[in-house]
Amino acid sequence: MTHKRQSVSPVLTAIAVAGLLVVLLPLLALLTRVPWQNLFTELSSESYLNALKVSVTSSLLAASIALVLGVPLAWYLARGPKRVTRIVRPVVISPLVMPPTVAGLALLTLMGRNGLIGKLIYEQTNWAMPFTWTAVVFAGVFVGMPFLVLVVESAFRQVPVEVEETAQTLGANPNKVFWRISVPLARGGITSGLVLAWARALGEFGATLTFAGSMPGVTRTLPMEVYNAFEVDPQAAYSISALLVLVAITVVYLLKSKLIQAFAG
Amino acid sequence: MKTKLIAALVSTLALTGCGTSNNAGASATPTEATTVTVYAASSLTKTFTELGKEFEAENPGTKVVFSFGASSTLAEQITAGAPTDVFASASKKSMDAVAAEIPESKVFASNRVVVGYPVAKALIAITDLNSGTIKWIQCDHQVPCGAAADAALKAEGITGVPISLEPDVKSVATKLKAGEVDAAIIYITDVIAAGSEFAALEFSDQAKATTKYPIGVSIKASSAAQRFVDFVLSPSGQKVLSAAGFGGAK
Repeated sequence: MTHKRQSVSPVLTAIAVAGLLVVLLPLLALLTRVPWQNLFTELSSESYLNALKVSVTSSLLAASIALVLGVPLAWYLARGPKRVTRIVRPVVISPLVMPPTVAGLALLTLMGRNGLIGKLIYEQTNWAMPFTWTAVVFAGVFVGMPFLVLVVESAFRQVPVEVEETAQTLGANPNKVFWRISVPLARGGITSGLVLAWARALGEFGATLTFAGSMPGVTRTLPMEVYNAFEVDPQAAYSISALLVLVAITVVYLLKSKLIQAFAG
Repeated sequence: MKTKLIAALVSTLALTGCGTSNNAGASATPTEATTVTVYAASSLTKTFTELGKEFEAENPGTKVVFSFGASSTLAEQITAGAPTDVFASASKKSMDAVAAEIPESKVFASNRVVVGYPVAKALIAITDLNSGTIKWIQCDHQVPCGAAADAALKAEGITGVPISLEPDVKSVATKLKAGEVDAAIIYITDVIAAGSEFAALEFSDQAKATTKYPIGVSIKASSAAQRFVDFVLSPSGQKVLSAAGFGGAK
């Protein structure tokens, strides 16, 4: 996969640099405000630790659920009948380009006290999902799973159909082919999808706020803590932001250096 | 190659799509001298939108654009250089925070927090908030409606905790109206606006539950901005406010 060296137009280069700056400068500006010498103190406050706990636990569970549900879904999209997948795929992927507050409203109309399913649950059990930690997880799955499905479907498509067919002619049943051939060959993509779904769930703000509210220790996640802290304690907001930027860069770095290679190559 | 591209695209989306500002209304840029940009507390959304229309009708050629949000959030934005001509805050504290941009202000209305609830739920006493079975919400502590709620609840001896601290009063009102909570500490004006399906329980310490709304003009604003403030303070402006349930300027 080596490319011939090609001369690059100066105009394109200039535009490219401008594009880079649009992304780079805000991040650098943010880093100048981070109180590095007090970072540890800022990041040991109770409100931060509470938000960290909520974010880490909910995003990890959300990513796990997205994995369990998303991998078979991605496999179906890659191998299922085209007339079905053509309709199903846009629906599955749509939360990816949906404004988060709309996602939150959609979840509320399904699982709220007056929601399609939520009403039944509330009437039977007097329990409703909104404003609970479960709601944070649900929101995370809703916004995170599309990323996983997109990447994993693409990984399954890279698995040669002939290999699967050969395994089948040698006597492996479809289930065995899936677990012993398709999944191992697509594992790089599955890992990438998992990390992306987790990162997306970790960063979610609008859907969570609309659907789960914002209660310290229960539903207030790190992004909400940043929003809140900005008014009360900007130093804390900058500190948490620095941490989240670090997580974001790490994720991209991992995906680039290892995970993408694993499933592209 | 294609998958690489998709993965790169997706990772970009994943990391950028996470944050969203929930400010109502985009911050408008004053295009000409006849546009007045008003930053107003969330609780004023309905009333000020109406006042804006009346003001525009009385002042042809002048346009009023609004950005509604928590007063504490708006104050933060104004300090950060948001193009504001007029700021109408739900508390003196948030107005004081922008003293550099808006040195002078006048109280134009007052409001009080109450316990709003759906009539169907029939809340009997404010102490029901202690029960644990009543799921209720309020504004976050730094938002004026949250600060008033904290003070009033404390005076009432309520030790129960809400299930959410919302970023502004509109968010609280929306969730109450959607039927997702049993009660909400909210302004009386919001309960009135919510209609006959909702009722309110008053706090016994009215002084603690009350918040005064100051309004002021930015030092950079045009004369049209002052005209809008004068209109809010005028008898016709005050009439709209009192019809919505706001207390008078005094």
